[in-house]
Amino acid sequence: MLISPESLAVLGGALALAGGLAGSSIGLGWAGAPAAATLAEEPGQLRNAIILVSLPMTQTFYGLIILILILTTVIPNISAMPDPQGTGFAVFACGIIAAAAECVSAAYQGAICASGISLLPKTKGQILTNAMMLAVFVELLGVLGMVFTIMALSMLGLF
Amino acid sequence: MNIDASSLATLGGGIALAGGLAGSSLGIAISACAGAAMLGQEPKQLRNVIILAALPMSRAFYAFIFLILILTSVLPGLASGQAPAGSGFAVFAVGLIAASAFGFSGAFQGTVCAAGICGLSKTKGRILTNAIMLAVFVELLAVLGLVFSIMALSMLGLM
Repeated sequence: MLISPESLAVLGGALALAGGLAGSSIGLGWAGAPAAATLAEEPGQLRNAIILVSLPMTQTFYGLIILILILTTVIPNISAMPDPQGTGFAVFACGIIAAAAECVSAAYQGAICASGISLLPKTKGQILTNAMMLAVFVELLGVLGMVFTIMALSMLGLF
Repeated sequence: MNIDASSLATLGGGIALAGGLAGSSLGIAISACAGAAMLGQEPKQLRNVIILAALPMSRAFYAFIFLILILTSVLPGLASGQAPAGSGFAVFAVGLIAASAFGFSGAFQGTVCAAGICGLSKTKGRILTNAIMLAVFVELLAVLGLVFSIMALSMLGLM
């Protein structure tokens, strides 16, 4: 058998981390481009720009947490389940939840940070707090994706 | 057709290198596009434009490191038959992590570098340091992708 239930579970965890890395890259790219333009205009905003650009990086670590959890806690339990084949596919499905949450939330957090960064010169940096508050809303979706994935795994009895 | 574990693992490494080459190509194309326009306006910025446009090239080398690692360290373990069934598919899944990290971070680092290049003439080249700093944030995601995929391979006991 080429695809064992354990290896399908690894694919689920790998997709979660891959989604986090892809989303963070897109978010950092979207926020970094206006940051370079803003810094060309006002180099004094470097600190605020770096704070806002680095916000979408966290989704990578949520994806990593899911991967480590699947590798260390879930995989040893799969062979003890009544239907190991189906369980492996269920873990793969849970990985897709996490991948979607981390990828899309990080990318669109980048869009919010980009608009915050482009207003830094106009507001002399005062937009920082509000922009971070708005970005945290999108961050919440990344955290919820991780929590609900863990919840789904524990409802499947794998955790 | 028989796809054995070694060939699935090689496919994982191959996809990682393909992702790295695609990401580097897209990133360099995006930033070099802005670079050509900038050089049409100010030919003296050639040095800075080349530095910024070459930044996304590193993905190809990270991906090459990953492919060589799979070919030299992981494949002998798989061929010896010590690894559990399905390990080949797990290595393929880990390759997807690396491919997603290199592909997306390369392409979107290109947008950051392009924005930096657009600011070169306005700031007489002083944006270079800040633009490199912002681009390094996206670079970090690629390094994290390489490190995390090596970590996943070692957690699976394949390295």
